Amino acid sequence: MEEYRIRVRIFIGIIFVVIGILGLRLGQLQLLDQDDFTAESRNNAIRENRVIPARGSVIDRNGVLMVSNQPSYNILFTPRYFDEEKIPLVANLLEVPDSVVVQKLKEARAWSGFRPSRSFTGVSFGVFSRVQENQYRLSGVTYEIVEKRSYPTSANASHALGYIREVSGEHLGRLEEQYPERLYRQGDLVGQTGVERRYENYLRGIPGSAFKLVNVHGREIKSYQDGAEDHSPEGGYTMHLHMDSRVQALAESLFVNKRGGAVAIDPNTGGIIALVSKPDFAPEYFSSRLDSATAAYLFQSNEKPLLNRATTNLMPPGSTWKPFMSLMALQEGLIRPGQTVRCGGGHPLGRGRFFSCMGVHGPLTVESAIQHSCNTFFFEMMYRTDIETFNRYAHLFGFGERAPTDIGEQAPGLIPDSAYFNRFAGEGKWGPGWTLSLGIGQGNMGVSPLQLARYVAAVGNRGTLYPPHLVAQLVNPETGTVTYPDLPTPERMPIEPQYFDMVKEGMRRVMEAGTGRLAQIPGIPSGGKTGTAQSPHGRDDSVFIMFAPWDNPQIALAVQCENAGFGGDCAAPIASLMAELYLKGEIPDSPAKTIRMRRALSARSEPLSD
Amino acid sequence: MRAWYRNLDYITLFAWIGLVTVGLTAIYSTTHGPASEFLLDSVRRNFERQFMWFGISAGGILVCLLLPVRFFQKMAFPAYLFTLALLVATLLIGREVNGAKSWLYIGGFGLQVSELAKVGTVLAVAWLLSNRRPNSSNVRYGLMGVGLLLIPGVLILLQNDTGTALVFFALVPIMLFWSGLPLTTVVLLVSPAIAGYFAIVYMPVAILFSVGFTLWMYLDTKDYRVTALAAMFTGGVVAVASFALAKVLQPHQIARIVSFTNPEAAEFRSGVGYHLVQSKAAIGSGGLTGKGFMEGTQTQGAYIPEQSTDFVFSVIGEEFGFMGAMVILLLFAILLIRLIVLGTQVKHPFGSMVAAGAVGVYLIHVFINIGMVTGLLPVIGIPLPFLSYGGSALLANSAMLGIALNLHMRRDDFSIYGY
Repeated sequence: MEEYRIRVRIFIGIIFVVIGILGLRLGQLQLLDQDDFTAESRNNAIRENRVIPARGSVIDRNGVLMVSNQPSYNILFTPRYFDEEKIPLVANLLEVPDSVVVQKLKEARAWSGFRPSRSFTGVSFGVFSRVQENQYRLSGVTYEIVEKRSYPTSANASHALGYIREVSGEHLGRLEEQYPERLYRQGDLVGQTGVERRYENYLRGIPGSAFKLVNVHGREIKSYQDGAEDHSPEGGYTMHLHMDSRVQALAESLFVNKRGGAVAIDPNTGGIIALVSKPDFAPEYFSSRLDSATAAYLFQSNEKPLLNRATTNLMPPGSTWKPFMSLMALQEGLIRPGQTVRCGGGHPLGRGRFFSCMGVHGPLTVESAIQHSCNTFFFEMMYRTDIETFNRYAHLFGFGERAPTDIGEQAPGLIPDSAYFNRFAGEGKWGPGWTLSLGIGQGNMGVSPLQLARYVAAVGNRGTLYPPHLVAQLVNPETGTVTYPDLPTPERMPIEPQYFDMVKEGMRRVMEAGTGRLAQIPGIPSGGKTGTAQSPHGRDDSVFIMFAPWDNPQIALAVQCENAGFGGDCAAPIASLMAELYLKGEIPDSPAKTIRMRRALSARSEPLSD
Repeated sequence: MRAWYRNLDYITLFAWIGLVTVGLTAIYSTTHGPASEFLLDSVRRNFERQFMWFGISAGGILVCLLLPVRFFQKMAFPAYLFTLALLVATLLIGREVNGAKSWLYIGGFGLQVSELAKVGTVLAVAWLLSNRRPNSSNVRYGLMGVGLLLIPGVLILLQNDTGTALVFFALVPIMLFWSGLPLTTVVLLVSPAIAGYFAIVYMPVAILFSVGFTLWMYLDTKDYRVTALAAMFTGGVVAVASFALAKVLQPHQIARIVSFTNPEAAEFRSGVGYHLVQSKAAIGSGGLTGKGFMEGTQTQGAYIPEQSTDFVFSVIGEEFGFMGAMVILLLFAILLIRLIVLGTQVKHPFGSMVAAGAVGVYLIHVFINIGMVTGLLPVIGIPLPFLSYGGSALLANSAMLGIALNLHMRRDDFSIYGY
């Protein structure tokens, strides 16, 4: 009987051991490894339906819609659910060879097996509707309707606005790290250039998600946890630009047959009214698949339409440099107000050949030197100073450096200093003979249209250098919260306002009785200066700077036409027409309009020689 | 006069009701959740049918409680022979479901004979061992008992229902243990199974086990024959297993055997490992408290095949979590231990043998089933007693419980017969 009791105890012990083993195993699965299995079950059964928010629209300074959205259709593959036997059917529906589907599936799998990848974007409505009709028998194939960018105005503004494009792998990694709350994914469209890139964070918004419980056959059966984890999309900020789309469109149309850049700035804010770079491209190109001809034009042609010439095209400023020289000379005391310099047809240092003037101007004050664009006068000013002072003043006006702005691509330009000449000519082997031509804006220097516009704006407003910028404000469409671009405070230059008045007087005379005569705006006095930059690549570059109205400038412009000759021929009429449209809202018919139009349209850049 | 049911053990009865209720809850969740409209017609009425079987099983228990002790003693062997006859009939005219020919249809009414055979076999073995003449050889009766188990086991094996057959074979050491065979012998009989298990899961442990076990047998018995047998059983199985895995078996057969150790591996997860991946995901993701009744994503999405039958435990694990799973284990522990205790209270060996047999059947099912759904054991298709959907099994298991309860309730009636 005693043995029987032992057997009972052993048997009860075995029951405890068996139940204990099972209990420990359950503890391991449910308590220790819970997270792994939760992930596994979520991957299985929860499908995320993503709602891409409307990307922020772009509005110009007059409230004209420049960039908005229109529906576009994408086909998504989820490799985990994809039935490989359906590849021919899918390829047939999408009108592509089987191999393309196989390739897309491979790419999708490389990114994630469980999350839907945008394998075909921007498909036609016909393809979309066929996929939609057949979706019930295509597991792992889903679709989405997203908004694509549309550009309702006739202005391209391609270099200012930039374009959006599917994010690249490396870029995606950066964005995910930088803005985790924006929920970036493979296949998302992100800004690649211009303000689209610069303000990507604001324009994007936050994608919404709806989580659905999916059964073993891939059917959605209900919302997961009654939608507790769902969140609705948040639209992107509406972007208000300083740009005037009419002025922009006009300038683009006037630039026909020309290469170059034009920048118009509000001298009282630094807001960019127009930013033209030609040749350009229509941003719509990037809203759908690029055809090969367009791609060749964009990426391979020597016209380089993607290049932002308005901010990166460097050329000597030519005579548009003379107002700058005047301001430096006056502030440095190289010449006093009213004092004259005599022009006898050239600078003595040159002995006739190199440093000659266009004419024999006689005694000239600063104002008349600007009016007549006298080279002798400005050679002399350069002769009276040194290269370091020159360099310092150029930097005061923002030359030789990148402007603090929301435009991404910029070239700093070249303003030489003694170190430059030491390197360029050899230490001690250079003298005034090397530097004098800088006084008339020729030689070893390079400035961009943006820099010129910023400088002429500062001349017009008598000495405040504003950071040029495209974006006025960003408005949250739901809350109405307004965000302003983060810009440094404008700098007041250490130059007496009265000197600006003298220079402006000279520039007024240029327009009324000088080289800018044919570019006057009827009824609005203005100040301007033509320039003709010697180009190493063929014909001279035509340059013009301008501000208007003269007494209270509202717009300052710089226009640069590559290899288009004299500054008054090409650049001046374009700038003048832009200013007139901006100031008057229209360009009334007049003989002055006809003359300027004809001159602007007939000018052309010497074709590139490949 | 006191009522006939005065000795009825209510604790066991409540544990039974508890288990069946949880099972019904889980089955309800699989068939009446948000995904019910996508279910196959064949499983859509599972809850209602199981509820009906719950009623039938309760009636069955009541009938068992009303019958006298003598009836079971007299009917034990005839019942066994009857179930054998049914098994043979199933082999001849049965219907094949999921590859196993284990269903006998009588006028549109399906019966899984192998479930009934468990009851008949437990009764027959109990009858045999309790009728043992004094002073007769333990070994002879033991071998006869083994024979009683092996016959239905082999018949069921022929039906291609390996899981259920395994239950009969696993009953052998348990039955021998109760019949008084030395513990060492019983352990020796079980040792090849353990060695084989380790050989599949992790070879070094298998070798360590066979060496350790042989050494232990030697130290325990100091008998060279026993030691040699131990070495042969364990080492032999390990050697055969490793040879089979390396040389004999086809890759798909090996996959079937070893996949449970790592079902998530890429080569298994959508094939032989699929059941386990889904079941483990369901149970593991349940966490401490579970996702809530009818809220389990794996369950409602019908990711686990056979989730109302063999894999019903994964439904409980997902929707009621670790705590729900522990309640099940606790109820089983109460039921099994209580039955053992009840068996000891019956002075007649027939009563204690029936209780022990029932406990053996339940324990094997619980271990193999929960071990299977949690990935401890290969996927061997046997149901979880009282919880899994299936009328024959619920009725057979309940009847066995009713008989054990009856023998305990009427334990005083045995004294008339005595030895």
